[in-house]
Amino acid sequence: MKQKLVGIIILSIIIAAGLVIYVASSGTKKTIVVKGYVGGEKAGLLESEDFKKILKDKFGVIIDYTKVGSIEMARETKTTNIDFLWPSNMIALEIFKESNKKLVKSENIFNSPIVLYSWDTVVGSEEPGKETGLIKAGIVQKINGTYYIVDMPRLIQTIMEGKKWSDLNINELYGKVNVMCTDPVKSNSGNIFAGLLANLLNNEDVVDESLIDKHMPNILSFFKRLGYMESSSGDLFEQYLRTGVGAKPLIVGYENQMVEFATKYKDYWPNVKEKVRILYPVPTIWSSHPLIALTPAGTELIKILSDEEIQQFAWEKHGFRTGLIGVQNNPKVLEVVGIPEKIEKVMQMPSAKVMDKIIKALEGK
Amino acid sequence: MKRYIMLIFILLCSLFSIHCSSETNKFTIISGSENKSLEELVKEFGKKNGYDVEIHYKGSVDIMLELESNSISGDAVWPANSFWLALGDKQKKVKNAKSIMTSPVVLGVKAGLAQKLGLIDKTVNVQDILKLVEEKKLKFMMTSATQSNSGASLYLSLLYALLENPDVITKEDLNRADLKERIKLIFSGVNRSSESSGFLKELFLSHPEGFDAMVNYEALIIETNLELEKRGLEPLHVIYIENTTAMSDSPLGYIHRNEPKKEEFFEKLQDYLLSEQTQNTITSYGRRTGVSGVSSKTDTGIFNPNWGISTDKILTAMRVPAPEVIKEALTLYQTTLRKPSLTVYCLDFSGSMAGSGEQQLKEAMKTLLLQDTASKYLLQAAPNDITIVIPFSDRTFASMRVNGNDKTALLELFNKINEKKPTGGTDIYSPVIIALDKIIKENTETNIPAIVLMTDGQSNTGRNFQALAEHWRRAGIDIPVFSILFGEADEKQLKEIASLTSGGVFDGRTNLITAFRKAKGQN
Repeated sequence: MKQKLVGIIILSIIIAAGLVIYVASSGTKKTIVVKGYVGGEKAGLLESEDFKKILKDKFGVIIDYTKVGSIEMARETKTTNIDFLWPSNMIALEIFKESNKKLVKSENIFNSPIVLYSWDTVVGSEEPGKETGLIKAGIVQKINGTYYIVDMPRLIQTIMEGKKWSDLNINELYGKVNVMCTDPVKSNSGNIFAGLLANLLNNEDVVDESLIDKHMPNILSFFKRLGYMESSSGDLFEQYLRTGVGAKPLIVGYENQMVEFATKYKDYWPNVKEKVRILYPVPTIWSSHPLIALTPAGTELIKILSDEEIQQFAWEKHGFRTGLIGVQNNPKVLEVVGIPEKIEKVMQMPSAKVMDKIIKALEGK
Repeated sequence: MKRYIMLIFILLCSLFSIHCSSETNKFTIISGSENKSLEELVKEFGKKNGYDVEIHYKGSVDIMLELESNSISGDAVWPANSFWLALGDKQKKVKNAKSIMTSPVVLGVKAGLAQKLGLIDKTVNVQDILKLVEEKKLKFMMTSATQSNSGASLYLSLLYALLENPDVITKEDLNRADLKERIKLIFSGVNRSSESSGFLKELFLSHPEGFDAMVNYEALIIETNLELEKRGLEPLHVIYIENTTAMSDSPLGYIHRNEPKKEEFFEKLQDYLLSEQTQNTITSYGRRTGVSGVSSKTDTGIFNPNWGISTDKILTAMRVPAPEVIKEALTLYQTTLRKPSLTVYCLDFSGSMAGSGEQQLKEAMKTLLLQDTASKYLLQAAPNDITIVIPFSDRTFASMRVNGNDKTALLELFNKINEKKPTGGTDIYSPVIIALDKIIKENTETNIPAIVLMTDGQSNTGRNFQALAEHWRRAGIDIPVFSILFGEADEKQLKEIASLTSGGVFDGRTNLITAFRKAKGQN
């Protein structure tokens, strides 16, 4: 009983002290909490203490978020008591608009291109006359320090024909050439890659509803070859780094994943950078990060996230290119080798209806 | 107003946390046995952060089954490979799983033999191993593919390599007769199996003169070699199977139960394990860390090139098949491809078993013998398995036997056990001696033998340990006795038998069925 009483007294003191502090601090600045659903790709940024500090100190905002898949949040999730949705692709915005739910405003905040991650052994040497690997095969070219997959159709064809690594003179690896990606049904990067694949099969043109059925057998056969697919882009990227070239010679990811890794593990990065390769498909597709505001607080967040300091921080520490029209990112500030200033050739994703067809076919529905 | 309520809530929470931190909280990790060497590291960290971390070791299949049935206990899981999470975690209970380290599954062959067989400094393919086994030049220990990750990984990667590294293994591939024949041939070289990688290592070290080779994680071969060299014995030479090597990635994941404090501790623990300093410590235990598994601070005393270890070598990993293909492959292993077993159960029906003991024993035998329940644990019988049951008390009763996996025959065997009533004293040695005699008469080249002895009391009558030891030595065959401790059984007596026969003792006092499953998982 005595213990209980002591507890109550302590509690009362703490509450009283807390109230004093709260009243005192609320007098100086008001902090608002904005609630929303966010695609997992941005968790690294939102969890960053520095980022939280800028938001709070400069704008008086705390983002309270829950990680939800991009398509899932647009399609199924209840949006009551939520200020915003922040998916990782434009398809989600399209789906949301079709759902007749209330949209106050939307704007694209960040972009990150879909890239392929590989290794020195696979990509090979570009030394004239002594080329090896994918460079020798004419699939990859190094232009101004950046590796581009200049012949995406050839890479896809090589995979579809069941060619072996040894057929490309990459004799260190056994088995067939393949690109690992996340499950397009569950994960955004896999989903975008499926869209890119469909476009590539359609003579590098955005595939529409009238043409998708023609390419479906090839799309299905491509994904069937992959066996088990991870359901998170973060997990796949981590396994790529952990298990190395023998296990994951070539994977699909976002450009910003490597930037995030390099800035987080600065001491470690010099060892890694010699081995890993970032390959930019030509053309590629943006993973866009449109913010869908559902309340005035959500609209306010669009304004805040468009702030120069925030945009710069997101680029330098987490590799998100700006999604704002007319703004440029400077790659010189990044230590990641081979990141181009601009992503020149970007194509549109197929429409939401086409993607829906692909997903349903992959699900076997 | 809402804000004030929120504030009070936060204050209450912080008060609660102050209260909690003065006490020790419990945090349980369900882990594969290969993580035993990291236990101290994890516990120490827990202690510093006000948590008493307990690690319960379970096989990968158990972890998968428990996730699947949503009956997983504990706060975190730490299996050897992320595909067990993918297979089992249909309910999405596991959150924030991250690979802590990697280790390839390799073949360790005694250095002298490896030299003689021409396995050193040479590219070794699955086909080379197949040939050595066919010519009866190589026998090896491996864990059960349906109970342990290292066995499953080896099995799946063998399938993959024998199919000549296809895009991915399909269900149709599994039905190929030529593939089945070749896999069976490789497994005919298995001379000892086990339900866990850690236990396999211990078995080897308990009897190093009795075994030539062992399939295990590189990390556990390193641990074995360090111990062998300490004893002045010949180390194992590590052979990476060139055309496919399975890589374990040891993901540590949180089991989501809406306990923010525990989750916070979990994240701290994970960050700690992934911090540069701890990763270096983990490397010093023979685990690979860092990008591509090649840490910059690799110690050649641990990753010893003289043992054949190379961290630079590119290891081609199997492409993980779809979950339904893995499941089918595991069933195929258990019912068709593994080397058949020859198991003699010596079951205690002494008077003290009456009541709960008798009931639990019968329940355990039901789990193993009734094929519907056995298959749930991937412990079902195969066509060439032999099952013998010898009930005993102070006397040994007539034995019962079933050849193969006929459901009705195994059900009848269970019915006979079910009719038995406990009575009399205890003599554990006589039934084991009889079991040895029965095994000697069988072909132990084609079947992996094991005796499972279950008892609840001290042996106080009949024959003694010396008689058993003499008998065992005279037999000259590797026949392990796995004992299950129950009731008032004398642990010392059972350990003596285990050490003689390179067997083991499983504690059935908390869960007899689990102990029986573990014992059965040995062959």
